[in-house]
Amino acid sequence: MNAPVNTNASVNANATSNPKADVLIIGAGIAGLQASLDLADQNRQVILVERNPSIGGRMINLSKVYPTLDCASCITTPRMASASHHPNINALTYSEVKNVEKHGTGFRVTVVKKPRYIDEDKCIGCKRCEEACPVFVKDEFEHNFGAKKAISIPFTNAIPQLPVLDINNCTLCGACANACPTDCINYTQQPVETVYEVGAILVSTGYQLTPANAKPQYGGDKFTNVLTALQGERLLAPHGPFGRVLRPSDGKIPDNIAFIQCAGSRDQSIGLPYCSRVCCMYAIKQAMLLSGSLPTADITIYYMDIRAFGKGYEQFYQNAKAMGIHFVKAKVARIKETEDKNLMLRIERQEDQSQPEEVQHDMVVLSLGLKPDWNPEAINLNVHTEYDGFVKSPKAPLQPNITTMEGIFAAGAATGPKDIVDTIGEACAGAMEIENHLRRMEWRLS
Amino acid sequence: MANPPKILLLTTIASSYTGANTVGQAREQYSPNTYIIRVPDPVMFPENFYLRCFQKGIDGIIIMSSGSDCPYEGAYARLSGRVARVYKLMKEKSIPIHKLKLTTICTVCKHPFLKEISDMQAAIAKEKLA
Amino acid sequence: MIENNCENNGENNGDSNNISKNNISKNNCDDNSDSTNIRVGVYVCHCGGNISDVICVKKVAEGLANYPNVAISKEYVFMCSDAGQKLIIEDITSGKINRVVVAACSPALHELTFRKALQRAGLNPFLYEHVNIREQASWVHKKEPEAATQKAILLTRAGIEKIRRQEGLENIRVGANKHAIVIGGGPAGMRSAISLADRGLQVSLVESGNKLGGRLLEIDTVYPTNEKAEDILETLKTDIRARKNIGVYLNNEIANISGFVGNFQATLKNGETIAAGAVVMATGNKSYEPFEGEFGYRTQDNVVTMPEFHGILCNIRNNTSTNKDFIHNGKHIQSIAFIHCVGSRQQAETHQPQADGKLNEYCSRICCSTTLQAVNEVKKHFPNVKVFDVYRDIRTYARFTEDGLYEKASKNGTLFFRYTEEQLPTVQGKNITVKDVLTWNEEVTFEAELIVLATGIVPNNITNIVEKLKLPIGADRFLSEAHPKLRPVEVANTGVYLAGTCQAPMDLVESCVGAAAASSKAAIVLGKDHIELDPYVAFVKPEKCDGCQKCLPECSYVGAIFMNKDGKAEVNPALCKGCGACVAVCPQRALDLKGWSLEQIEAMVDAIAEA
Repeated sequence: MNAPVNTNASVNANATSNPKADVLIIGAGIAGLQASLDLADQNRQVILVERNPSIGGRMINLSKVYPTLDCASCITTPRMASASHHPNINALTYSEVKNVEKHGTGFRVTVVKKPRYIDEDKCIGCKRCEEACPVFVKDEFEHNFGAKKAISIPFTNAIPQLPVLDINNCTLCGACANACPTDCINYTQQPVETVYEVGAILVSTGYQLTPANAKPQYGGDKFTNVLTALQGERLLAPHGPFGRVLRPSDGKIPDNIAFIQCAGSRDQSIGLPYCSRVCCMYAIKQAMLLSGSLPTADITIYYMDIRAFGKGYEQFYQNAKAMGIHFVKAKVARIKETEDKNLMLRIERQEDQSQPEEVQHDMVVLSLGLKPDWNPEAINLNVHTEYDGFVKSPKAPLQPNITTMEGIFAAGAATGPKDIVDTIGEACAGAMEIENHLRRMEWRLS
Repeated sequence: MANPPKILLLTTIASSYTGANTVGQAREQYSPNTYIIRVPDPVMFPENFYLRCFQKGIDGIIIMSSGSDCPYEGAYARLSGRVARVYKLMKEKSIPIHKLKLTTICTVCKHPFLKEISDMQAAIAKEKLA
Repeated sequence: MIENNCENNGENNGDSNNISKNNISKNNCDDNSDSTNIRVGVYVCHCGGNISDVICVKKVAEGLANYPNVAISKEYVFMCSDAGQKLIIEDITSGKINRVVVAACSPALHELTFRKALQRAGLNPFLYEHVNIREQASWVHKKEPEAATQKAILLTRAGIEKIRRQEGLENIRVGANKHAIVIGGGPAGMRSAISLADRGLQVSLVESGNKLGGRLLEIDTVYPTNEKAEDILETLKTDIRARKNIGVYLNNEIANISGFVGNFQATLKNGETIAAGAVVMATGNKSYEPFEGEFGYRTQDNVVTMPEFHGILCNIRNNTSTNKDFIHNGKHIQSIAFIHCVGSRQQAETHQPQADGKLNEYCSRICCSTTLQAVNEVKKHFPNVKVFDVYRDIRTYARFTEDGLYEKASKNGTLFFRYTEEQLPTVQGKNITVKDVLTWNEEVTFEAELIVLATGIVPNNITNIVEKLKLPIGADRFLSEAHPKLRPVEVANTGVYLAGTCQAPMDLVESCVGAAAASSKAAIVLGKDHIELDPYVAFVKPEKCDGCQKCLPECSYVGAIFMNKDGKAEVNPALCKGCGACVAVCPQRALDLKGWSLEQIEAMVDAIAEA
C-alpha cells in the first residue's frame, strides 16, 4: 500500500469502539465466499475483505469448469449474490488488510478501503460514466485482450455493480461527472482505514498464475499467439472479449493449436518443484471446448503425465481422447515464432522415437502453474509458509485448515494448488474449524 | 396496423433470467416484442399451458432452460419429454411447431440469447408471409 | 438533468396515443378472484434516467392507475433510495395498500431491498413483486422508446396480476433433533464425530468392525509426512474419548433407517434406536480385489496386493531381530516390482469387466503416492533390494508428493517402466514384460521376486443404507453428491452428508477435509432450534385431489410427495425443492407451487397477450 491515508481515517482507527465481527475472511474468491456463507448460515457475523473491486475471485473469470462443463459464471454468480445479500456478511470490496494484531482471544485487523472515486451509496450502477468516458485502458478482466474505459464496472456480472475510476489514466476531463445522474463522482476521494475486532481469521487468498516468461524459451511474454491459460479461458468464455475463438495476432480462426503442460510446474529450475494439480484438467477442458467451437481444428496436448485424479476426471480425459484430441508424451524444448506469427515447437518425444523434431502450430496455450497470491508474512502475521510459498499446515493430515497461528485458518489455494471442487470442500471444512475455535474461545460479539 | 407478434421467453431463476440481465448490462439491443417471465423451472408447465398461450395470442414461445446447469434433479429430462409431447399436440392442432423452441441459456449466454430471439422473429415473419 | 422525456418520445414516434390511459384501464381483465380487499401500490422508477430516458415512466404509472386492484400508481426518480422506500412504507402504514409492485431494475439488485421495506412496514415481504424494466426493457430497446414503454406497461400489468393472486408466505420451519449419526469409524467418521461434538451436538458413531480406525489400521506410515498411522489413530481416539457427547458403537451396524432432515430414526443391529437430525455417511472404502490370475494374483505366491504388502512390511519391521533383510515366506527377497493402476483406469479394450459388468474407469487417486511411499520405504530400510516401478502416469499431485515422493524415488535407484492402456504388462512367474514407453516402446522383460499390485479402491458395500435412505449411487458405485461444486458433500435428500471415501477415492488429508465439510453442513442444519427453509414449495389442494397418483413418479426427491391416509397426495415441505415437476402432471390442478402458481403465470401471460 502506498496510497495516502487521510487524517480522519487515522482518527477513526484509534477510536475506542472498533466495529466487531466474529470472523474476518481475507479473499472473496470461491473459497472465501463458500466459507463466509457456511459461517453466516451458522449465525456468525462475517467480514469478507476483497482486494479487487468485485467479489468472485478467479472462478468468475473462467469459461466453463471441469468435469461437468458447467458455465463458471453460472456456478459462481449465485454464490456471489447470496454472500452479498446475506444479512450476516459484510463484503468489503476494493479493500486490503494492512495489519493484523492479536487482541485478547481474537484479533485487531486494519483494513484499508481504496478509493473508487465515487460515492458508493449514491451510485446506481448505470454505467453512464463509462459511456461518457473518452479514455481507454487495458482490460485486466480480459487479460489485456481488448480495452475498457478509465472509469468502468470491472466486468458485466461484477458484484457490487460499482465502477472504479482509474485515477492514473484519468484525464480529469469531467465527462463522467457530467453524465452521472446521481452526482456521485468524487475525484478527491481518499483511502479509508478501519480497524475491526474479530474472533478468528480465514486466509483464502488464492493463487496467481506463474509468469508467462518463467520459461523464456517458450516466449510467453513475446509471441502474440502464445497465450497464458487464463487468456485461453477468456477466449472460450461465452461472454469473452471477441465473442468467438480467434488468434490474437491477426484475428484468424486457428486450426492447429497446442497446449504445453507443466509450463510453470514440476520444474526445479524455475523454483516450482511441485505439481499445480489443475493444469492437466484445465488444458483438457479448454481443448474440448476448442474442439466444440472449431470442429475441424487439430488440437495437441504435449504432456509428461496426465493427472486426472479427481472424481470423474479420468473419464473426462478418456472422452477427450475419444473426441480426437491428440495427447503426445513429449517435452517441448523451445518455441520460435515464424514470420507469419505461427509457432515452431521443438519437441522431444518420449515414445516412438528419440530424435527431436520441429512441429508448427498457429496458436499455443501455456499450461502455467499456480503460485500463492499473497504472503501472510508480509503483514507481520505469525502465519508461516512452507518452502513452496503456500501457507503451512502444521496439523496437516487431520486438520489442514489450521495454520501456525492460533485463531488464523486457511483454505483453498492459499494452502497449495487446488481445483474448485477441492477448494470448496476445504472452505466448508475451514468454516467448521473456525466455528469450533470460536466456541472453544467462548468468543462473544458483545 | 397489426400489432407486432408477441414472443414469450420462459426463463429460469438459476440461469436464463440472469442471462437476460447480462444482455441488458452489455446494452445489446433486441426487439421489444419479447416478454420475459421468470419461474423456478419451466418443468412446472403442463402441455396445455403452451397451447393456451398460443390460443390467447402469443405468437412464439422460447423456453430458456438451465439445461445441464439445472439445479433440480431430473427436471431437464422431464421438460424435454414434455416439450416433445407439446409438439405432437401442436401438430394435431395444426399449430406450426416453430412457434415453440426449447433451448438452454446460461447466465452469460449473450449471443445465444440474441440469436434465439432473432431466429424466432424470422420464423414468425416467414409464417406470416406464407 | 433528470427530466421526463415523454414529450420527446411523442414527437419522435407520433402515435403515442396508441396506449392511452383509457385503453389500458378499460382492459377486459375479468377479475375472477375474490379481490375486494386487495389494494396494490405500483411504483415506477426512473432510475435517474436509466429507465426514464427511454421509457415514459409517467405514462406507465398513469396507465396503470385504474387497473383492477391498483390503489396507488406513482413514479419516482430513485425508488431504491431511502426516500423512495419511504413512499412505499407510508402508503402501507397508512392502510392505502397491501400489495406492492415496483417496476425498476433487475430483481437481483433490489428485490430484497423492497421486501425488507415491506417487512419494516409490517407487511408480509412475499406480497411484493419486482418488475424488471431496466435490464430487460430500457437498456435493450434504446431506439424504440414507444414500444419499450408499451412493453413496460404490459410487464407491470403482468406483475400486478401475479401479486393480486399472492398470499403472504412464511419460511418453512422444521424442528431439528440436535443429534447426528455418523456411520463408519474410519478417519473421516472420527473427524466428523469430533467436529460435530465440538459444535455442541450429540453424536452416535457407528462402526461395523471391532475397533475404530478404518483403513488407517492397515498401514505403517502415511505420506507425505511419514507419520506413523498408529500415532495418528491414537490422536483421533484420544479426541473421541475426551468428548462425552460422542457415543461409540462398535461391532454394530445400521439395521434400519428412515426419516428426513431434522428427524431420522435409526435402529442398530443390537436393537438400540437412535433419533437424529442428520446422518453423516463415512462408510469408506476397501482395496480392489484382483480376480484370480490378474497379473498372477492367487495363481502365483509371489504376487500380492498393496494392503498385503503393507502387512508384510509391518511384520518385517516389527521383528527387530531380522529386520535388516527383506524376508518373505522364508525367502530372501532381492527384487520387488510394483505395478500401478490395478483395478483403476480400466478400459473396455484391455480390461475384463468386474462382477457387476462394469469397468472401474476411475482413477483411485491415492495409489501412485501410496506406491512411491512404499518404494521409498523399501529403499530406505533395504537399500540393496532392487525396486521396479511399472506405471501409466505418475499422479503425485498432492502437496509435497511430487518432490517428496516421486523425485526421491527417481534418485534412489528405483527403475521406472511406463506402459499404456493399449498393452498391459504381463506376469509369468518372476518375469514381468512391459512394452515400455520410456525406451521408445521396446518390449522389456525383467525379473522380480516379489510383485506388488497397486490396487485401487472401491466403496464398501452399503446396499442396506443406500436402499433405506434412497441414496444416489454413481456409475463408479460411489455415493453421488448433489453437485460437485454447488453441493459437494450433500445428496439430493437434505440431512444426509458425505464424508470421505464413500463419495470418491481420497487420501487421508482429503478425507478429513471432506469430514469437516460434511460436519459444517450438518452443523448449519442442526445448529439452530429450527431448520428454516424457503417457502417456495409445492402444495396440494386436497378438495381437488382425486388420488390418481400421477404426481408421484414425477418427483425426484424421495418422500417429498406421498399419498396420505385419506388417499390424497400430500407434500412434505421439508423435502420438496419447489421445481414444480408435479404441478405439470396433475390433471385436477390440485397441485401448485407457492409463490409461483400456475394460475399466477397464466394470468401474467393473459396480461401480456391481451392488449
